[in-house]
Amino acid sequence: MINFSFDGKAYTAQEGDTLAAALLRNGIGLVGRSFKYHRPRGIMTAGVEEPNALVTVGEGGRAEPNTRATDVFVYEGLVARSQNRWPNLNFDLGALFSLASPMLPAGFYYKTFFGSAKRWMLYEYFIRKAAGLGNAPTQGDPDRFSHRAAFCDVLVVGAGPAGLQAAVDAAEAGKRVILVEQDNILGASLIRDPQELNAVWISATAARIRAAGGRILTRTTASGYWEHDLVTLTQRLSEPGQIPVNGVAQRLWHVRAGQVILANGSIERPMAFAHNDRPGIMLSQALRSYVRRFGVVPGKRLVIATNNDDAYKTAQALKDAGAQIVAILDARPAPAGANSGHRVYNDAVPLSTKGARHCLKSVSALVDGKEMDWDADLLAVSGGFTPVVHLHMQAGGTLDWNEDAQAFIPASSRQNVTTIGGAAEPQPIFKMVPVSKPKKSFIDFQNDVTLADVDLAWAEGYRSVEHLKRYTTLGMATDQGKLSNMAALGRLAEKQGVAIPEAGLTTFRPPYTPVTMGLIAGAGAKDAGAHVRRLALYDLHAAKNPIWQPLGYWFRPRAYPNGDETLAQAALREAKAVRNNVGMTDVSTLAKFEVSGPDAAAFLEIICATTVGKLAVGRGRYTFMLREDGFVFDDGTVWRLDENRYLLTSSTGGADRMATHISYVRQYLCPHLRVSAVNVQEHYAGIAIAGPTAKAVLATLIGEEPPRHMSTVPAVIAGVPVIILAASYSGERAFEIYVTASDAATVWTACETQVMTVGGALYGLEAMEFLRIEKGHLVVGGEVDGRMTPYDLALDKMLNKAGGYIGASGLARPALSETGRRQLVGLEAIAGDIPEGSMLIPSEGASPQGHVSAAAFRIIEGGSVALGQLVDGFSRHGEVLIASSPTRGQKARVRVVAPHFYDTAGERYRD
Amino acid sequence: MTEVTITTLPAAPLHVFEIWGNAASVAKRFKAAMGFALPATGRSGGSDALRLIRFEPTVWLVEGDVSALSAILADDGAVTAISGGIVRIRLSGPSWRTLLMEGGVFDAEDPAFSAGCSAASIIDHVNVRLHVINDDACEAYVPLSFSQGLLHFWKEAAESLAA
Amino acid sequence: MMQFTCPHCGPRAQSEFIYERTVDSVVPLDAPSQEAMAKLFTRSNPRGVDDEIWRHTYGCRAWMILTRHRVTNEISGCRAIGPEALP
Repeated sequence: MINFSFDGKAYTAQEGDTLAAALLRNGIGLVGRSFKYHRPRGIMTAGVEEPNALVTVGEGGRAEPNTRATDVFVYEGLVARSQNRWPNLNFDLGALFSLASPMLPAGFYYKTFFGSAKRWMLYEYFIRKAAGLGNAPTQGDPDRFSHRAAFCDVLVVGAGPAGLQAAVDAAEAGKRVILVEQDNILGASLIRDPQELNAVWISATAARIRAAGGRILTRTTASGYWEHDLVTLTQRLSEPGQIPVNGVAQRLWHVRAGQVILANGSIERPMAFAHNDRPGIMLSQALRSYVRRFGVVPGKRLVIATNNDDAYKTAQALKDAGAQIVAILDARPAPAGANSGHRVYNDAVPLSTKGARHCLKSVSALVDGKEMDWDADLLAVSGGFTPVVHLHMQAGGTLDWNEDAQAFIPASSRQNVTTIGGAAEPQPIFKMVPVSKPKKSFIDFQNDVTLADVDLAWAEGYRSVEHLKRYTTLGMATDQGKLSNMAALGRLAEKQGVAIPEAGLTTFRPPYTPVTMGLIAGAGAKDAGAHVRRLALYDLHAAKNPIWQPLGYWFRPRAYPNGDETLAQAALREAKAVRNNVGMTDVSTLAKFEVSGPDAAAFLEIICATTVGKLAVGRGRYTFMLREDGFVFDDGTVWRLDENRYLLTSSTGGADRMATHISYVRQYLCPHLRVSAVNVQEHYAGIAIAGPTAKAVLATLIGEEPPRHMSTVPAVIAGVPVIILAASYSGERAFEIYVTASDAATVWTACETQVMTVGGALYGLEAMEFLRIEKGHLVVGGEVDGRMTPYDLALDKMLNKAGGYIGASGLARPALSETGRRQLVGLEAIAGDIPEGSMLIPSEGASPQGHVSAAAFRIIEGGSVALGQLVDGFSRHGEVLIASSPTRGQKARVRVVAPHFYDTAGERYRD
Repeated sequence: MTEVTITTLPAAPLHVFEIWGNAASVAKRFKAAMGFALPATGRSGGSDALRLIRFEPTVWLVEGDVSALSAILADDGAVTAISGGIVRIRLSGPSWRTLLMEGGVFDAEDPAFSAGCSAASIIDHVNVRLHVINDDACEAYVPLSFSQGLLHFWKEAAESLAA
Repeated sequence: MMQFTCPHCGPRAQSEFIYERTVDSVVPLDAPSQEAMAKLFTRSNPRGVDDEIWRHTYGCRAWMILTRHRVTNEISGCRAIGPEALP
């Protein structure tokens, strides 16, 4: 006995029950309200195709809305709630929509809610309240979700008789086999129809598969078929809403298979007749499953409507269970069913049903042209069988039409996939055409689409099946038309006067059954979805509790506030320390490449647009790189460490693309060069020390005279070998210290001690921005935005006159040096603060002529300054413009100046 | 059978050994000097004192003392230090293969991926180089900046391998 | 996700690779301006087979030319690119 609750009431279930079986066991026929008309609905199927019995299972962050009651196994304490009803399931005010159903035809939204966007927002509020599925939980999901890869020679989907046999054959032939079954037990159709292959055969076969090394995954759905025989499986390790044993609720498998065998079976079709959606009307095979698998007989007086032989097995199962078989309505002419021992009516097509309060009362049919009716509390229907071709179609397959079965079956595929079993050879059926009034004859139960809606769409000119789908919402939501598509196609083909295969098909897209968002997110569900790249010196920074700033995947200290300092206060204090005394910062994230070999300089002169070959050993220089089209790509510095060894640095944000670019040039364009270009971005941690006293601080640390500006020397700090590069980004005398990352903490600590001794400060990215903007240094991603040439940035004087670098020919295009281009300028506020990102306009209402790429202020004197791009900016110094940010409602009057606000002669960093 | 122990190994000297020309004669010089051949693609060679793993068609990762290698390369290649950027993580116990399937795209469960084999792939979005030590252990070379994130991922995944 | 057979590593998941460009859009280092721009901007884009440059960035880091059918994703060839290497 298992205890569970439904809509707050306690019930008990048997071990192995689905929620649907348990509800039927407890006599609950009414399970949900339909999507649009709020019609009472019950359980129609015993599988994932269930359109009606959608419930929310679980509580809090574990709640899973729109769970098919047929696709969740009851566990102790399961909490299920019905959906789309108010105030409760038995008395639902929304059912008034049903009275108004003539006013809610297909395309109702498009026809009704005209008007402004504002009015649509209002309509949408009510539509969302009235029409709908369950609510997404508002709390976070406490469980984990795993993604796992698997490889096999043969993947078998579906553990019915065909799938089990295929899996055991392959496994015993020595292949790596994975067999997946969406149910929690193996057997599929054998569970309801044991025949000669019974439970003993199933377990013996499973044991043989495992013994041969095969892997069997139950409660696992092959939900997507992707390129090159990659199949994704969604595995339930715990039931919806259940607390998982190992903390992992579900697993998404990525299976790369040598061969895929689909043994998916078929889904039984309903029939279209009036009021065919009442609780108590079920698919024939589903009813048989409840009786034989779960021992649940959900009625006493059964009528069966069929067009095939299979439904007679249901009659037998119900008879064995003690129910009364009132009538079998067989659409086929006599003598079909003649020897079944049941009361069979041939040429019988259902017309309508009547019901009492949420249950079935009677069934009427047209028998040989005459209307008849029967009292019944249970109606089993079998309108034929639709092979499950979803995965085959996702794999890029084609379909053949099987006239005997009135069904599409898998044909060819460009991937290595075959379909076997019932899906390849569906049972023959008798082709029947609905005779009922189309109005209440539902074909898509989940979306409340009737034959009348299809007819209306046709009448209004929707000819393509894809248009029909969008207009009527047919085939959408959790069941994705598993029950409805064939009925709709049949009706459409009838209207078009063509055969069904000519009416066309909608696209089969993954997933086959609904997949929860957490499963897709996997381990990424718990944070930003990506790993944070951690600095080698992370622990030392974290101990100071800085304000962190994301920079690509990195997190870097933005500022180190003292006490109650705000970001702005801390950053200003840090920047002043650099201007007045000394500051130090972590620059480890910069891209770094060590380039060695006799052709190293030649290689660098291809990568960089500046000269490199003339550098003396121990010297470095600023450099920049172009794209092939001549625009500036990145910038950095290049240093000659030794005769044939260089260090190239470039921007943090561009590090990965620069690594790819360098590899492309070296491996693809220049395979002949004698050069080794190694990415050492993470090998070296970098520490910058900057300020008027930086030189003295460094001298103390290394015990010798520090190198002059743009020179490099090897040195030792606190016993650790380091490389010192004398380069300045801040505009002050500055040094970058590169040290093997695993030894970086020792060096940082020694530097920090010395910097603090002289009253200096640590500084973060915010202060670095202030400093470089005031100095007029570029940042890649800011001023260098992919649209600027070396001319636009006034870098052209540094171009290698010999050419030969990447981008030289692109840059030769005349338009790249003509007037009318945006050029780098400085901006000085006349009044107000310059808003970052604002546009530059000559007067109110005029078209923008440029924008502000970075704004800060003079660190010592105060006053707002900025860098920006302005059309023909070089020749417009002195002009007054408006820097306007309408989105922020901010503006400032600015004067165009040269893009240097500090030490324009560059005297502060030279000895 | 779902046990795996995750251990961060201490920093060790790691270098890139790249050949840019005359590969065959470098290989000959290498074998003569070191007593073992430069390992082929997807393989490692040498001993605990000096181990080379083929990283790229022209690049090997060297773990150990590289002092003899520059002379072997002469003008046909270069040695570059990279140890600071890599954290070595050892996965030991019978379930290391299963753990590597979590968040991965590489077939670490293939029995042919055995002692002395090496492969680089992506695990939980992180570029990882794997080297099989023996049936009971595999070492991963992980970029320093991602190592904390990947360790966290592996520790959580290891707890739920049984599921 | 596709699967490519790397000439060095064997069959590997597409997510280990980064696409670079098609072979016909490679700009030779010495290409004059007009030819370089034609390579970059006026390219064929066949609905069918094309030669593409990919890099096994998260595997052996080597470059290769992959012949792929853009509609069916059928890979009909893959050859290694790069400096002379040992087998």
